[in-house]
Amino acid sequence: MMESFTFGIPQLLMSLTGVMVGIIFGALPGMTATMAIAIFLPLTYAYDLNTSLYLLLGLYVGGISGGLIPAILINIPGTPSSICTGFDGFPMTKRGEGLRALRIGITASLIGGMISLAFLWFFTPPLSKVAINFSAIEKFLIIVFALTIIAALSKGSLVKGIFAGFFGVLIALIGQFADNNKMRMVPDMFKVDLRMGFQLLPVLIGLFAVVQIFQEAEIGMKEEHQSTDLSSQSKKFSFKDFKGQGFNLIRSGIIGTFIGVLPGVGGSAASLLSYSQAKSQSKHPEKFGTGCVDGLVASEGANNGLTGGALIPLLSLGIPGDSTTAVLIGAFMLQGIQVGPLFIINNPITWKTILLAMGLANALMFIVMFYPIKHIVKVINFPKARIFPVIILLCTVGSYAVQNGNMFDVWTMLFFGVLGYVMTKFGFSVPSLLIGFILGRDLEKYFVDSIKGAGGSLGTFFSRPIGNVIWVLIAISLGWAFYEEHRTKKRARLAKEKEQ
Amino acid sequence: MVCLQLLTSEESCIMFRVNYKPSTSHWIFPPIIFGILGFLLVVMAIQRLLKCRRLGKPFFAFKNYHFFVANWDKVRLIGSLVLMVLYFPSMNLLGFLPASILFVFMFNVLFCGVQQLASIPVAFKTRKFWSNRGFRSLLISLIISVVSSTLIYLVFGKLFKITLP
Repeated sequence: MMESFTFGIPQLLMSLTGVMVGIIFGALPGMTATMAIAIFLPLTYAYDLNTSLYLLLGLYVGGISGGLIPAILINIPGTPSSICTGFDGFPMTKRGEGLRALRIGITASLIGGMISLAFLWFFTPPLSKVAINFSAIEKFLIIVFALTIIAALSKGSLVKGIFAGFFGVLIALIGQFADNNKMRMVPDMFKVDLRMGFQLLPVLIGLFAVVQIFQEAEIGMKEEHQSTDLSSQSKKFSFKDFKGQGFNLIRSGIIGTFIGVLPGVGGSAASLLSYSQAKSQSKHPEKFGTGCVDGLVASEGANNGLTGGALIPLLSLGIPGDSTTAVLIGAFMLQGIQVGPLFIINNPITWKTILLAMGLANALMFIVMFYPIKHIVKVINFPKARIFPVIILLCTVGSYAVQNGNMFDVWTMLFFGVLGYVMTKFGFSVPSLLIGFILGRDLEKYFVDSIKGAGGSLGTFFSRPIGNVIWVLIAISLGWAFYEEHRTKKRARLAKEKEQ
Repeated sequence: MVCLQLLTSEESCIMFRVNYKPSTSHWIFPPIIFGILGFLLVVMAIQRLLKCRRLGKPFFAFKNYHFFVANWDKVRLIGSLVLMVLYFPSMNLLGFLPASILFVFMFNVLFCGVQQLASIPVAFKTRKFWSNRGFRSLLISLIISVVSSTLIYLVFGKLFKITLP
């Protein structure tokens, strides 16, 4: 059946709902866009994928954008990607320019988002065309490369990051192997429930929502009520504030997009890199951190630039760019759509829908946030203790619905919530685990296909030129990560010795 | 030189070969992953050993080890886990809507502070319900639990026809 392109009031409302809910999740410290998408993913059962994408991408853009509100007003980033927004946004609030800072941030977010959308539009199709020629060997190596990058850039120890990634791969292998329909690693009592392995949705809800609830419960669900009164403003916003910011905006959008393309790097790195670039190239670097518009623009332009960038490897190679797009892959999997080199060719309507939904979400984010921002800021005082019980309810409903009503999936959600919580305690990266879990089955498929084609020889993984280039990239990324880890530890040790 | 000879000889190539049989192909990849995980565990152990030697600490140091953060909230953390474990089977027993109303209310009470339960006798004694802060919080918890559970039941279960527990 040919899919048809539909856009109307329902799609517009879905996008608007997504953006508004996303902003709330982004604005509440401790809640993220990833969590929002994980919770709302079950709605894709009720709608077709194309309509659902308006909601999910709205949640993504809204979730990233909402983080600027607490960063500017109370100096607590709502999401990791707003980490540098408070450096200059909060000093502006302190001198009575909070509303101006918020509107500058919102406008920069819109432009950053649109720049990344343009990159997504232009670069995904050619990258897919290159990737179409990849054999199972290159596909296998690309996944290994993605896993090493994700692990290398995950917080904490590199070895623990790699371990978490491969542990995720191992969990993905549980269940039936598609080639010969034989089961492995499944205890007899779970033979029926785990025939197809663990379902993605309960796993990701457990890892991203339940873990967060346990972490908040551990610290007592502390609420920090802050003043959000923006009635007395010493300086008003004007679009003239962007005079001389053109280059900074474009650079920040590009940096954000580039960081988004790298698997697993995340929004905090985009914000930090863009901010440090703006500072190092500024004529007045001493003004950064005192309420400088340049710093605010750099951070917000970059973190929204990330949104389109993270979708490029997802749609062209089938590899999620960050934890949020890893959750987004769930929406495609639930609908039986394979993301990867053939995605655009096989699903041209869905591809156009993604572009339209991203553009619409950015525009709606601007409209929803720019003028009513005085009222929206109040969401940061929503008590988490009241929201989390409803989230538990939504998580339960979502997990149960995966296989049309299976309580095993609800227990799976809880199991992975506890597992993720314990792993975080020991410094293992939960996003690495999830991405390993998502890519695990493909990793095995391409490995087996490669050796099947080569009569069992492992030398086949070194037999293709592009494959060898990927090997070099893997070696470089690992070498660089080990060097960085060593340098960071050395610096920390020296700083500690200096203090003593 | 010896290594090169070994690598080029046919016998050693067996080391770099995987015996592919369709009937056993489901057990080709898992042992490789187990091997990688085992190797990484050894690397982590060595890293820890070196660190402990440098700092002069024992390898297993349980004495000053704290799994939870300082002053962790035992009631909320353990309570949330216990309530979740009880909530899931209760849906089979009571049905989705009654169980959800009950447990969302209990989660609200747990997260907002169980001490508010002490306001119940006071509120009935003084006949001041809404003006009593603790009792007002309980009423809000009740409203949230009824409204959210009913709304999810209607929107997900009835409107979107999603299977509910």
